[in-house]
Amino acid sequence: MASRYDTRTTIFSPEGRLYQVEYAMEAISQAGAAVGVKAKDGIVLAAEKRVMSKLLDIRKGTEKMYKIDDHVACAVAGITADANILINYARLAAQRYFLTYQEPIPIEQLMRQVCDLKQGYTQHGGLRPFGVSFLFAGHDDHFGFQLYQSDPSGNYGGWKATAIGANTQSAQSLLKQEYKIDDTDLDAALQLAVKVLSKTMDTTSPSPDKMEISTVTTDDDGNVVYHVYTKAELEEVLKKFESDQKDTSTSGDI
Amino acid sequence: MSILEYNGSGVVAMCGKNCVAIASDMRYGVQQTTVATDMHKVYKMHDKVYIGMAGLATDMQTLVQRFRFRLKMYELREERKIKPNVFANLVSSMLYQKRFGPYFVEPVIAGLGDKNKPFICAMDLIGAPVYTDNFLVSGTSSEELYGVCEAMYRPNLEPDDLFETVSQCLQAAVDRDCLAGWGAEVYVICPDRVIHKTLKSRQD
Repeated sequence: MASRYDTRTTIFSPEGRLYQVEYAMEAISQAGAAVGVKAKDGIVLAAEKRVMSKLLDIRKGTEKMYKIDDHVACAVAGITADANILINYARLAAQRYFLTYQEPIPIEQLMRQVCDLKQGYTQHGGLRPFGVSFLFAGHDDHFGFQLYQSDPSGNYGGWKATAIGANTQSAQSLLKQEYKIDDTDLDAALQLAVKVLSKTMDTTSPSPDKMEISTVTTDDDGNVVYHVYTKAELEEVLKKFESDQKDTSTSGDI
Repeated sequence: MSILEYNGSGVVAMCGKNCVAIASDMRYGVQQTTVATDMHKVYKMHDKVYIGMAGLATDMQTLVQRFRFRLKMYELREERKIKPNVFANLVSSMLYQKRFGPYFVEPVIAGLGDKNKPFICAMDLIGAPVYTDNFLVSGTSSEELYGVCEAMYRPNLEPDDLFETVSQCLQAAVDRDCLAGWGAEVYVICPDRVIHKTLKSRQD
């Protein structure tokens, strides 16, 4: 039904929709999920790893999480090649700002620059939009810890907790139920992120090989710290998660 | 009046045994007037790479900011710290890009490379590098520095001896130069620590 109005990015359909943008979002909903949860003392990003093979020889630290600057990191869902372009752009934008103002880029400014780039691909040039959604997590002196979500249309929003990628419906509803506004600390945020990720991954036994977790926090001197969890740390978090599950589980096994 | 002599400076780097030293004076002058005595001319790029710059102060400050930009991008993409010889090539490249409208600085780079091997390098204002395993100098006091370093330098000095040698060379040289002096700063970079001292010197 949509075929006459969907081949070019830069035209509306009669119903007022941009089909290429919607198709990009469809591509993302097939990709591995990423969850972000904001706590009082930091932000947790958790993502499902999809690229898995014994023969892989990857030297990079992470598949779905990237540091943009010392005070901002992001998680990715969608087409990895598209994401790499935008991540490089975000890193340059952050350094350009720092070169001019000698001050770390405020997170919202960074969002606006990346999203303005994405929006350009929905209005001129005739090129397809980027098939990536981001979760940006960071801290600045103006608004403290912030979590932003952006999509191929170039829209962005600030969130207390959100998810992108596959099964976001169930992720969002679980977050809505369980997230305690103004009363979540980092450990609770970690557990919640793992819980939501297990639900979207559709597995009862999440393993450290299938997920990545990172946190953005501040240390005692006020510096922002981005930390990617090692396999050992992941195992500990998952152990706690599983034991909590056992304590609260009421459904009986045979 | 040469633009490279507008602010005045003396910078020296020396190789020791498993260590390097880099030192500079601390005068910030506008021709004959001394405006400040706490100006840093040696900057840390990371734990094992330091760069000292002689020449026009504004270009030195701008270049430091630009180096930090490029180094940040390098560390984000490569997920590791840059080696001193690679950094030297970056500096050379950035300076030559401005071949027909150059930055008026003559940098000296000092650091520890693979397996903590000492590395020093100096360049002219358009990026021509020179690499040695003994010492390198730059600034309005460069000729004085060449003289003292040639006389006092010995290879394979331990960190403390290297510190003494570099300090004596720098102070003796800048004392003969009216545009450099008013304090001195020395860094000795070792595999496990960096010795950073400010020297008590003639304030004239």
